[in-house]
Amino acid sequence: MTSSIFEELETAVIEGDSEKSEEAAKKALEAGTPPLEAITNGLAKGVKVVGDRFSKGEVFLVELIMAGDAMKAGMSVLLPVIKASKEEVETLGKVLLGTVQGDIHSIGKDIVATLLEAEGFEVINVGEDVASVTFVDKVKEHKPDVLGLSSLLTATMPMQQDVIEKLKAAGLKGKVKVIIGGAPTTQEWADEIEADGYAGDAVSAVDLVKRLTE
Amino acid sequence: MYRLLGRGEIHAIHGAAMDVLERVGVVIQHDKALKTLEEAGATVDNKTRVAKIPEYLLQDTLQKSPRRHRMLARNPKYNFVIGDGGSVFTNAFGAHYTIDLETGERRLSTIKDLEEFTLLADYFPTVDYIKPNILPQDVPKTIWEQEMALAMFRSAEKHLSLVALTPVGWRDVIEMAKIYAGGEEEFIKNPAIVDTGFNNVPPLKYTKEIIDMILDCAKYGIPFDISTGALASASGPVTLAGTIVQGIAENHAIVVLTQLVGPGTPIMWGSCATILDQRFGTAAYGSPENGLIHAAFCQMAHYYGIPYYGAAGVIDSKVPDQQAAYENTINALLATVSGADVVHDGVYGIVEAGVTASYEMFAISNDICGAIKRIGKGMRVTPETLAVDLIELVGHEKNHLNTPEALKFTKKHLMEEQWQPWISNRTSRPEWEKQGSKDIAQVAREKVKEILSTHKIEPLPKGMEAAMRRIIQKRAKASS
Repeated sequence: MTSSIFEELETAVIEGDSEKSEEAAKKALEAGTPPLEAITNGLAKGVKVVGDRFSKGEVFLVELIMAGDAMKAGMSVLLPVIKASKEEVETLGKVLLGTVQGDIHSIGKDIVATLLEAEGFEVINVGEDVASVTFVDKVKEHKPDVLGLSSLLTATMPMQQDVIEKLKAAGLKGKVKVIIGGAPTTQEWADEIEADGYAGDAVSAVDLVKRLTE
Repeated sequence: MYRLLGRGEIHAIHGAAMDVLERVGVVIQHDKALKTLEEAGATVDNKTRVAKIPEYLLQDTLQKSPRRHRMLARNPKYNFVIGDGGSVFTNAFGAHYTIDLETGERRLSTIKDLEEFTLLADYFPTVDYIKPNILPQDVPKTIWEQEMALAMFRSAEKHLSLVALTPVGWRDVIEMAKIYAGGEEEFIKNPAIVDTGFNNVPPLKYTKEIIDMILDCAKYGIPFDISTGALASASGPVTLAGTIVQGIAENHAIVVLTQLVGPGTPIMWGSCATILDQRFGTAAYGSPENGLIHAAFCQMAHYYGIPYYGAAGVIDSKVPDQQAAYENTINALLATVSGADVVHDGVYGIVEAGVTASYEMFAISNDICGAIKRIGKGMRVTPETLAVDLIELVGHEKNHLNTPEALKFTKKHLMEEQWQPWISNRTSRPEWEKQGSKDIAQVAREKVKEILSTHKIEPLPKGMEAAMRRIIQKRAKASS
């Protein structure tokens, strides 16, 4: 019984079927399956399968994103029960992501967020055109392990530096690892502004975050 | 030559685009621009900053957008007209890295690379006007656009398209362009001595900075391209027709705004839209879908009576290899035979889709685009070229190499009829072996080195560079 409900959760996520995922999560609770186990052995397993396949170029981005959405749909059923029991979902770490001020591009950053979630990270996506001070406030509030700063415009790259300077001023540099990305950015630019890492695409961004949180 | 869309399809796409423009609207993060649009008849939501533009307003402003315009060069022999029925080609835009010509290693791009690529573009007959092939990484960002403009002014006699990244930097570049034109008065008379280009943030958004710079262009009548950057299945619909509809709405918002502010400002209505590769989350420019997008946009631009500017010929391959050559060829060719007025990114001296400059690829692409331009010219069919008299004269026994009249005829028409490749090999095998059995990349490397050491251009008039330098120094001082 239990193993089949795990399979059902996993399959719902792999198929990117949010409705099925929600139903399976409800069924798991009714059957008395511990919600944390439903996540670890069901939902998270499914999203990991899709994430791995995506990294190998075997499934499409649309399937990865739908798998992520299906996992969240299942989680929305399970999380209230977990919270009520004062338990905590184990993650690989917490990552805060956003696009810097003056830049409203979202797609690359959102792909990174989805892949990180698929790998088992908790991701807080603070959106686009985010002011440097807001990044600092959000870091104080959420205490992430890694802060990811995206910039697709050459003109807004200096804002990545600005955030790092403001983190320094707030005494937070070193307490959170800062990584940067976006088409015009380079490893050299990351070195220049004293970022902890740079990634040129979403898959290497996940590897980078894993390395930094080990 | 090639028409992808039928008349009914063009009307259907137009209708859908008007629906989007009127009912969904475009976000314009610029108060003054929104006010201008509202006063002209658009419905503006000041909170969401969405402008919904009625079709009549578009039709009014399209009347003011030039169908054709003359672009000017420092050397008037390089002046040309956009929108006269032919395709003009530009080189590639914006590499951060360069494959070093000497070491073959990939390294950060420099201002010297920009000067060299600009000089090569000046030499290459396929490049009709010049884009900044390089975004140099050895220049402070505060004076980036200015240093790039100066490097290009110094390195070519052809028309130059300069980069506008920030409103402050672009204003400095305009001041430098005035000096380049021979003074403020000259520039106001002839602003088409330079041009620039802008992209939106798809879906359906424009930032304040972009609008600021567009308004500066409209103020002077500086030509620019407005090119949707939609990625089908990411920032635009997966359906190519849907992406075309969205792109039309995005581009048209700028046509309306520009022609309201600066009537007659030449706009090249363009696209650097392509598909997102769903396996890797990357933009796929060397894809066949990219060519179809250009073919459709080109027909739509001409339906609206404005020139089409397509970023066609971009290469996804990481090195100047077989993949690079076919990617460059298919889309630059499709854009050309579809009638694109500007094949931007045609002569593509970059690999890795805009990221890494390659001298070898630039030379190879010069040959590819030479061939494409020959195809674009088509076939001359006149009583003379049909050559019946000559065919009769040569008859069955002689040929065109042993008949004096035929030799004369060949000599007369040869250059017009046959395109001569520059580095593509067509010799016999023994001859090829005698010359070292080199592949095209090797030949390209040698030729590029030769051109860089031999091609000379007229230096800028005395005092011009110093005057431009002063603008740059002032900015450097102000921002330090």
